[in-house]
Amino acid sequence: MHPLVVQYRAVVVKEVRQTVRDKRVMALLTIAPLMQLFVLGFAVNFDVRHVPTAVVDRDNTSESRDYARTLLAGDTLDLKAEVHDERTAQELLERGEASVALVFPQEFQEDVLRGTGAQVQALVDGSDPVRSGVAVDAVARHAAQRAARLMQTDAVARGELPIRPPVELVPRVLYNPELSTAVYVVPGIAAMLLLVVTTIIMAMGLARERESGTLEQLQVTPLKPGILMAGKVTPFVIIGLVDVGLALSVGAWVFHVPLRGNLGIVALATLLYLLSTLGVGLLIATLSRTQQQAFVGGFLFLLPAVLLSGVMTPIHAMPDWLAWVTYFNPVRYYVEVLRGTLLKSASLGDLWRQVVLLGVFGTLVISLASRRFRKTSA
Amino acid sequence: MSTAIEVEHLTRRFGDFTAVNDVSFTVGTGEIFGYLGANGAGKSTTIRMLCGLLKPTGGHARVAGHDVSEEPERVKAGIGYMSQRFSLYLDLTVRANLEFFASAYGAHGRELATRIGEMLERMQLGAIQDEVTGSLPGGLQQRVALASAVLHRPRIVFLDEPTAGVDPVQRRSFWALIRELAAGGTTVFVTTHYMDEAEYCARIGIMVDGRLVALDTPEGLKRTHAPGRVLEVRGPNLAHALDALRGEPGVLDVSRFGSGATVRVDPERLTAETLGHWLRARGVDPLELEESAPTLDDVFLALTAGAQRGED
Repeated sequence: MHPLVVQYRAVVVKEVRQTVRDKRVMALLTIAPLMQLFVLGFAVNFDVRHVPTAVVDRDNTSESRDYARTLLAGDTLDLKAEVHDERTAQELLERGEASVALVFPQEFQEDVLRGTGAQVQALVDGSDPVRSGVAVDAVARHAAQRAARLMQTDAVARGELPIRPPVELVPRVLYNPELSTAVYVVPGIAAMLLLVVTTIIMAMGLARERESGTLEQLQVTPLKPGILMAGKVTPFVIIGLVDVGLALSVGAWVFHVPLRGNLGIVALATLLYLLSTLGVGLLIATLSRTQQQAFVGGFLFLLPAVLLSGVMTPIHAMPDWLAWVTYFNPVRYYVEVLRGTLLKSASLGDLWRQVVLLGVFGTLVISLASRRFRKTSA
Repeated sequence: MSTAIEVEHLTRRFGDFTAVNDVSFTVGTGEIFGYLGANGAGKSTTIRMLCGLLKPTGGHARVAGHDVSEEPERVKAGIGYMSQRFSLYLDLTVRANLEFFASAYGAHGRELATRIGEMLERMQLGAIQDEVTGSLPGGLQQRVALASAVLHRPRIVFLDEPTAGVDPVQRRSFWALIRELAAGGTTVFVTTHYMDEAEYCARIGIMVDGRLVALDTPEGLKRTHAPGRVLEVRGPNLAHALDALRGEPGVLDVSRFGSGATVRVDPERLTAETLGHWLRARGVDPLELEESAPTLDDVFLALTAGAQRGED
């Protein structure tokens, strides 16, 4: 056997033995990602439903009661309380017991019948923008539908033909027809978990060797830095691939994330992505003297990498200069590949840019890390 | 005797600080060469340069036939290194450590198994080969570290304070292993600050502030740097009298400690008896007054006294 192969195998075996022996690291590699996937998958939920609503019906006629009943029939708004005046409704909003209050004025039915422009007031708690946006949307949509229906009944009553609105919108949602947040978020969480686990473990693993003096011991052996790095990275690439497989299986079973596209593309992208994350881990280790420094350094990198990846918030919602930064973030490209293949069954033809960029980043980071490693160890 | 290590004008600077200053010596094959010095005297820096871990800023060193700055990789293949931290993987078993370090030097298959088997037997580690290294007492960890440093049968081993923090019994048995290695033809380069250990070395180099200030056999060092006899004096209220002793005829050196002093004398001119008279004539009575041969401690004290007085 070639000595390089012997050395490489020795490093891999050693890393695997150390990893398997360390129960905390094993848990970090296997159970923690699954737990986080569950927790985040359920907790990160932008679906707004069952918004508690208070009704102040000062008119109390069949028209106002019917208006409120039909609006509350959907599952966006739920009736929380019927109160008699606006002050009480506002108190409910302040205490957070209701997020929306509908106020019908005294002349509501009369105004409707006279056709003089009846008004319904909606008080909305705007402290949660997503929630209030959806509530305002539901209230407005209901008002428009109701107005259209009233105009039709009016026309029929006058013996005219029913009026059809001149333009009608027929929305059809593709790829995620139920607009489930989990389907969108789970691939992002998988990318994030992989990043956290591999970067931190790699950084701390090398920092530990430096701290305990074994790195110096390795430096007096003929073991080349390249072989050492390759051997150290290998077990974690395999664990990373397994983690992605686990995350996607759980995503499919528990959160109904579709696995539509070519999983080969996912595997290729994962491999290239891991080069970047493990490379960053090694780079951080070459800049740290102790495990503690490596840990802190890891988090300094992880937070912006996750926030600027489009996992949590859409990139097009960022200011231009910040969105520009995301072009230098491999996490962004990996998430794009995951979402593209899994949800839209995009092909390599659609995603080649992302895959190539992942490869470029991976190669750059790994070679930078090895160069620094060679320098610091010489 | 052929040469294992050849050092010429070796120098290492870190910024303005010169850690190793123009050091030259040679070590013969199969020799046990001791390197003595206080902490920070430049012992570890010298070893690190000889192992190819650190580039010299001046001078040359040839180790196992290769220049350390030109062919560090060749040097590494021919040497073993054991640091005072016993740099082992404490979370792995003894056997796993040996397997890893042997494979790092390219051993595999049957050869690997044979070498490890031999080493376990020679170092008497067979019974604990499946124990986790970190759970072992210091003395055993030290033997495992030595085993993994010589598993690939290097021609030269560098031991950087290998016995630091190990009890005297373990130190003695460790030195038996070192002598066995040397008897088998391995050159041993060892740093220590235990003077009793230094006596085991064929030759000793003494470093003070980055310079090699003495190099000889233990006997030669004592003859040159601590000639005469040593009188140990102990007792109350001796301080003034002992200070006055410096410069008296026949007194070569006075090293004060707690309640007494070590006085090195020319035995032709001053004996224990005459010193006793001299002290009593000044109104003080030493409780103890013993004569002995100088040790390496005395050599070391004589050589470092100047530097240490400068520091204080």
